[in-house]
Amino acid sequence: MRFIAEDAIPRLLEHLAGGGRTVWAPRVVRDSVNTVLFAPWSAGEPVETGAYTHLSAKAALLPPTERLFGFGYLQAAGEERIELEPEEPEESPVLFGARVCDARALAALDALFFPASGGFNDPGYAGRRSGLTVITLACTTCDSACFCSSFGKGPAETDGSDLILYPVANGFLAEPVTDAGSELVRLDLFQDSRLEKPELAVTARVETAGLREKFIDLFSDIDLWRQVSEKCLSCGFCAYACPACHCFNIFDEMSGDREGERCRSWDSCMFYSYTLETSGHNPRPEIAHRYRNRIGHKFSYFPANRGEILCTGCGRCIRGCPAGVDIREVIRTVQER
Amino acid sequence: MSMNDLIPAIKKVLEEVDVVLGWTRSPAAGVAVPARFHTPDEADGAIFDSTCIHNLAVHLPRLKNSKVGIVAKGCDARSIVQLIVEGEVSRDRIRVIGVPCPGVIDVKRAWRCYGFGKKIEDAGGRVHMEGRSVPREEILLHKCHQCRDQEPVIVDLAAGDVTSMTPPPPPDKSGIRERFAAMSITERREFWREQFSRCIRCYACREACPLCFCRDVCSMQTREPHWTGGQVNAIESEMAQQVRISHMAGRCTGCEECERACPVGIPLMLLLEEQNKIIEELFAYRAGASLEDKPPLLTYDINRDGGWR
Ligand code: SF4
Ligand code: SF4
Ligand code: SF4
Ligand code: SF4
Repeated sequence: MRFIAEDAIPRLLEHLAGGGRTVWAPRVVRDSVNTVLFAPWSAGEPVETGAYTHLSAKAALLPPTERLFGFGYLQAAGEERIELEPEEPEESPVLFGARVCDARALAALDALFFPASGGFNDPGYAGRRSGLTVITLACTTCDSACFCSSFGKGPAETDGSDLILYPVANGFLAEPVTDAGSELVRLDLFQDSRLEKPELAVTARVETAGLREKFIDLFSDIDLWRQVSEKCLSCGFCAYACPACHCFNIFDEMSGDREGERCRSWDSCMFYSYTLETSGHNPRPEIAHRYRNRIGHKFSYFPANRGEILCTGCGRCIRGCPAGVDIREVIRTVQER
Repeated sequence: MSMNDLIPAIKKVLEEVDVVLGWTRSPAAGVAVPARFHTPDEADGAIFDSTCIHNLAVHLPRLKNSKVGIVAKGCDARSIVQLIVEGEVSRDRIRVIGVPCPGVIDVKRAWRCYGFGKKIEDAGGRVHMEGRSVPREEILLHKCHQCRDQEPVIVDLAAGDVTSMTPPPPPDKSGIRERFAAMSITERREFWREQFSRCIRCYACREACPLCFCRDVCSMQTREPHWTGGQVNAIESEMAQQVRISHMAGRCTGCEECERACPVGIPLMLLLEEQNKIIEELFAYRAGASLEDKPPLLTYDINRDGGWR
């Protein structure tokens, strides 16, 4: 296998950024208490390869706000016209330091937004996705929120990655998954190595088999949904941290009254406003209705419609929930009914 | 206090109310998580320890149709009082179980520094986390260092001996308060631009705040009024937050829940502490300090104060 030394990582990132591509990497946020987030990297900046990020890597593909197009009202020959200004497609980024739980969530996002995987053609997403390079850090340790072993091959999953880096003493063993990955390990930043791949982490597990049907059976049991969501405060954190959640809201913002931009921003089904209708009626008035949707969409509707579970067991929603909600406990309670 | 005092207190209060808000131990994380107790059996799972960081008063306005008991630290009691003073919660439908608080541990900081889910043991003036140990005062929540509220201002039933502790001196572990205080106005502008550039507008700050009651119709999110754009960027996110913060003037009790809830670590308390200080200086008012005080910004009288000009 090939090996790359820890201190060669900045040079690898420089190489990747060479063609003008944006390289996203985990970084410790300045002036914060160890908040680690994916962010565009520039030469000279440190990269964090040991810690988990508090939000997933999805912002590299689905930015929190994306400008869809600009528009303006024009007067021409006594008539008013609307002029559209389309967005230039962005170049595909590089995602360095994703974890298996970030990389495998791409399958779910692709199933919706990427025509090559049977999804709709979402120009923004598809543009960034088509030439995306994903370099994943394999997990040799995990914490008590991780539960990716519940899905597929768990920490050994290679889906969604181009290259996997296994941490060993002073560096990483590099295992290519795709042609793009094979090309990278041919760089002379990498050397041959006889080291053995390290043992991977073994995480907590939850049983999701049968959940798809079980959820439908229990849909009307509102007391159950009230019980499992009683701690929840109905914020947007869990959806925004999740590598697989992808809902958005579309809106126009004007600058003056002649021109503006149409944007989309992340949205969360845990917000009251998410299903609020213009009439004032809200089909999901209670937190329980909204939390039920969170579970249903992840483990029942999306698997039924698009063949993918919308959870990779990354544990981010558990680590960061201000109210201490643990989605695994919810799944267990539902499964035990 | 031991659970020998708390559990019977909850059971007693359950005779009068529909539900008691308290804490239980999270099986996965080992620390306290909020829980609702409806029956004496459920109440057997109640705990109180120095990981009970959450301010449970946030649930009171959401439980408008029930009689509710609530386990409250001194600082939580201030939020309850402020909710009553503002008419958000009616005194007769709540029962407050006061607990003596030794100061709570900044669990988020502890886990971000030492690893998520590390077992936390608070013993002998030190906090132990699986092999590591730090002096207690280095890992307490910031508010605990200045605590003037160990004794809850509103108590129906005290679980144990609710007495004062001497707050340890206020250290500033991250140094951020000192650095912020020393910044010029221009540097502060830069500082906040950078901080809010990572806000994702998840509104966890708002939802965790017991006093932020607009919630579902909050101007951070609505199109009517359309005070902030929907774009997630440093300018709009800061504008949204500044509206929230100015609406907290004279209402914020400094409970630190907004900052604790923020996933990207924006030091919101720098703004709120500054504002709370100004309110106290100008109006000699501390939100939630007494059931009799009138909130200065809620006492405007259109007839007496001259009306809108
Ligand atoms: S589960 Fe937690 S993170 Fe998710 S909406 Fe509820 S309080 Fe927010
Ligand atoms: S639902 Fe939670 S654990 Fe599952 S992928 Fe999303 S953030 Fe991770
Ligand atoms: S909790 Fe933090 S990230 Fe979320 S909206 Fe508030 S300030 Fe922004
Ligand atoms: S604004 Fe923050 S500190 Fe003030 S009461 Fe609300 S949550 Fe507590």
